[in-house]
Amino acid sequence: MPPDLQKERETFVRTFLKRGVEITEELIRENQELREDLANLQNENARLRAQLASEDAIRDLLGAVETLEKERKALLSHSEEQLKRTRTTEARYEQLEQELNDMASLYVASNQLNGTLALRRVVRHIQELLEQLIGAEAFAVYVMQGDGTLMPIASQGLPDDALGPILSGQGRVGEAALTGLVYIQADTSVEGSVERPLAAIPLVTDGHVVGAIAVVQLFEQKRGWASVDEELFKLLGAQASTALIAASLYTVEDGPLAALSNIHEKLHAPRPVAAQS
Amino acid sequence: MSDYSCLVVEDSPMMRQLIVFALARVKSLTVTEADDGVVALKRLAQAKFDLIITDINMPIMDGLKLVKRIRSDETHKDVPVIVITTEGSSEDRARAMALGASAYITKPIQAPQVIATVKELLKLP
Repeated sequence: MPPDLQKERETFVRTFLKRGVEITEELIRENQELREDLANLQNENARLRAQLASEDAIRDLLGAVETLEKERKALLSHSEEQLKRTRTTEARYEQLEQELNDMASLYVASNQLNGTLALRRVVRHIQELLEQLIGAEAFAVYVMQGDGTLMPIASQGLPDDALGPILSGQGRVGEAALTGLVYIQADTSVEGSVERPLAAIPLVTDGHVVGAIAVVQLFEQKRGWASVDEELFKLLGAQASTALIAASLYTVEDGPLAALSNIHEKLHAPRPVAAQS
Repeated sequence: MSDYSCLVVEDSPMMRQLIVFALARVKSLTVTEADDGVVALKRLAQAKFDLIITDINMPIMDGLKLVKRIRSDETHKDVPVIVITTEGSSEDRARAMALGASAYITKPIQAPQVIATVKELLKLP
């Protein structure tokens, strides 16, 4: 082989080898860069996946918050409804308590009025009813005489000379006795008198007025009429007179059996002509 | 069986009946009645009470004297006493409270007020 050719071949081989080394180095570098890119991409991918997961979680959370908010509103509305119901129940309970209290007062009043035939005790019960159930500080009880005059039989908180007698039709008490209508003054703060009492109640038996009650003044702590007072007045008007008549008749009898001795004959006796008409 | 016992001292049968009616609505409460202070002292000597309700104005022995006697009685000195005053006058009320009454109720009495006062003193729900 000629030297020139030999030299050329060596140069070519060196050049080829050098180029091979350069290409290998380049390939290694590119490989390295690709590895780095891959790692970066993997990192980016992981980051994006995490972000996506986090957004899902947030979306889920927002959904849960929305559901909870709806539940909260529903509960709030339910709670308000329950509160309304509770208030209504409480008001109803109070009303029932008051009604029960009123009924107890009426029962006790009736029970006491009709629970005795002793005249003094009947009068005492009428007084107690006026004082302790109605809260009257000053009052007078009248019974009608044959001439229509109202004579006082009991009183409290009033001077004797202020009591009367009262003529039928005279003042509020006389008017109540004449008409048989209850008079109740709405404003109880004004000072009453026998002529102008706060309430005048006719005592009626069998359709006839036989007396009247004048409530002249209420106790200081009683600010006005209570819901039961009108019912108590009705009860007094209807039952006080009957109790007084029964007790008055009983005073001439010799005990309860004597009072009932002729009951059979009385039940079967012919009715008086006046009563039949 | 009742958990609490109450003595009601009131000379007016009407008021007594009303108070007993009201107390019937307090669970676990047995009521004993007395129509004046002397009868009340007899009842107190016979049994131990958890609560006493007494009127102020009574014949023979009034409510104020009774409160005084209760507070000097070894068995009942710490028992709550409710006094019932006839009028709104603060005099009787002040005297009763000074003698050791625990609470007062003014006539005409209202059952809800009686029940509430009794429950409060007996610490009932």
